[in-house]
Amino acid sequence: MGIEAILIINKSGGLIYHRSFTSPQVDPSNPTITSTTKHTLNSNDLLILASTLHSVFAISSQITPKALQLSQSNINYTIPYHPYVGVANPQTTPKNNMPTKYGSFKGDDYFKEPFHNWNKSGLKQLSTDQFTMYIYQTMTGLKFVAISSSVLPSGTGSGENNNNAGANTVNINGSQYNMGSQIADNLLRKVYCVYSDYVMKDPFYSLEMPIKSDLFDDRVKSLIDHLL
Amino acid sequence: MSKSRSSSLSAHAAALSSKSTANQSKFFKTLGEDIWKNKIEKINAELFVMTYGVIVQQLCQDLNNDYIKINENLFSMGYNIGVRLIEDFLARTALPRCPNMTMTSEVISKVAFKIFLNITPQIENWNTNRDSFSIILTENPLTEFVELPQDAMKQLWYSNIICGVLKGALEMVQLDCDVNFMTDVLRGDLTTEIKIKLNKILKDEIPLGED
Amino acid sequence: MPHQRNSSIQNPEALERQRQYELFQESLPKVNALVYQMLLNEIIPLSSHVENQLQTIPMEEFSEDQTESQLKDLSLEEKQVSNPSSSDQLIYKLSQLADEDENEFNNTLKRVRDIGIKLGTRLTNLLVFTNNVNLNFKEMDLLLIMKFICRDVWKQIFGKQIDNLKTNHRGTFYLIDYDYALIQDFCIETNTIPSQLNEEVITSKELKLVEPFLELPVGIIKGVLLSLGYPLEEVICLATFIDKPREKIRNGFPKGISFHVQITKPNQQQ
Repeated sequence: MGIEAILIINKSGGLIYHRSFTSPQVDPSNPTITSTTKHTLNSNDLLILASTLHSVFAISSQITPKALQLSQSNINYTIPYHPYVGVANPQTTPKNNMPTKYGSFKGDDYFKEPFHNWNKSGLKQLSTDQFTMYIYQTMTGLKFVAISSSVLPSGTGSGENNNNAGANTVNINGSQYNMGSQIADNLLRKVYCVYSDYVMKDPFYSLEMPIKSDLFDDRVKSLIDHLL
Repeated sequence: MSKSRSSSLSAHAAALSSKSTANQSKFFKTLGEDIWKNKIEKINAELFVMTYGVIVQQLCQDLNNDYIKINENLFSMGYNIGVRLIEDFLARTALPRCPNMTMTSEVISKVAFKIFLNITPQIENWNTNRDSFSIILTENPLTEFVELPQDAMKQLWYSNIICGVLKGALEMVQLDCDVNFMTDVLRGDLTTEIKIKLNKILKDEIPLGED
Repeated sequence: MPHQRNSSIQNPEALERQRQYELFQESLPKVNALVYQMLLNEIIPLSSHVENQLQTIPMEEFSEDQTESQLKDLSLEEKQVSNPSSSDQLIYKLSQLADEDENEFNNTLKRVRDIGIKLGTRLTNLLVFTNNVNLNFKEMDLLLIMKFICRDVWKQIFGKQIDNLKTNHRGTFYLIDYDYALIQDFCIETNTIPSQLNEEVITSKELKLVEPFLELPVGIIKGVLLSLGYPLEEVICLATFIDKPREKIRNGFPKGISFHVQITKPNQQQ
């Protein structure tokens, strides 16, 4: 899946990180218009986007029907691990190029087990005919947002990513899991790992404030670059 | 591939939602040990003891052996580490929110203490409401080879930084707790005991979407 | 200035000894390296915080009488003094360093350096007792001591060796670390808008905030030298920011560090 942008929103709804990954491509028929023009949000727009997302996220949690809230004990919030999302795959990477650790996370991937999704009733995914947005929320209230250029087919719950042929949906305990969403959750948990490693270790970083670390930026970019 | 993935997936979920404390306990123990063994960069524990010792020594010197003040400083030092370290902990483990303090205590002793200090302290002394418990440090990686002078033995909580870390970390997951040393072998006590008492769950701060 | 790399050509026997030593190091009890790094980093805000406390608390409070009376009350108070349950005043703001006046700032620097000195002295002992057969303290001249600092001390505490050791063979040494471990993740709030083209935009004001983090290794160097017979007053050690070689610029902190060490008493030299 192509990731267009990554956003991080703090627990009060403030935007603390934004990075766009679309490189300006010149349209050969009209060299004055670049393909990124549709994405030009200024910093004010971005702040509004962040706080709106924060609110919609909360509202979606509040409008969950009571009946569902009561019966939701049987919903499984575990997200399966997808191998090597956003990192070098040891099967296709020459051994001497294979990193032995990512930051302070030893091994050839940040984690290797299925994991719990803290976001139960908040907005998880938002899609239009143009893009899909995924949200991963941590227990401390941070939101990691990925905006993807892949479009979900409407009407089905299953994600269809051109590069994920085969089992598009995994059926576990009766609930359908969306492949695109799972991969996004795997990716965004890794962005969280990178955040915990590079932002939290900087004593000059004040909690809740905008992130300006180049190292963090580099690590996030590397995750996006390694996505298929 | 997907079959083995989904079976490990249900095992993971089953262990976490298991009503049996023994099962949960075992799951946390394995998780902590696995992360410690495979995912953690390590350094010499003696260097760690030594560095901490030097910090306490310098505080004693600067604050003229005012142990009450020293305790406070060690505590806030820990607090500042705790509020940051919790993100590392959550990113690494992605454990669900604990429904009660019993599970919280298990996670603290078997996962958190294991992956950060490579020890697994005992949990004891529950009160009847089950919102207060004690962590018994049978081994304490901060105090190896440490001996306190007479006057310090009465007032100094040498390892008070640990209380600060716990306080900061728990607060970030919306648990407002009092964290205090009750006894310390360095003071001549028989055990080293940290008491955690839950004051209240900061309900307003629990991120929406979690319930 | 003659140039001395600190890697030495080793025979198979020495390599085997090195391997044995590494195995031994492996077998020692361990804790999480991240926790250690956070502990080291907290030394600086703590030192600044202590300075702040000393400035605001009148010194009388520390007088003998006070301690006496506190001790007397102990039987009553001992159990009652507990850790704060509200966290309002707990967060350190490292940016307060910028508000310290010259005197306070220097006191903070000195406090961090003192911690470094104490640590350095003990580090020597730690390394002497680890049976590292490659170390022979009896026959150590100043150059070997500096190599010991560059290699063993640095490796032990920062997980890497010094990149480069230079000396004029007359008691002056430059220890150059292009990516000094403690500060690699630092990103200082910039008020100026950094230009996209120039990645090296970092002002002297910002660098000043990082200075206290350099005093720790300065202290360690002085401490190690102290424990090996070079008194503090005979050793000058200064840390300065230097430019990084081009290929390293994109990684981590934009500046490298040069530790300038000078032994002032000529008769101490070999």
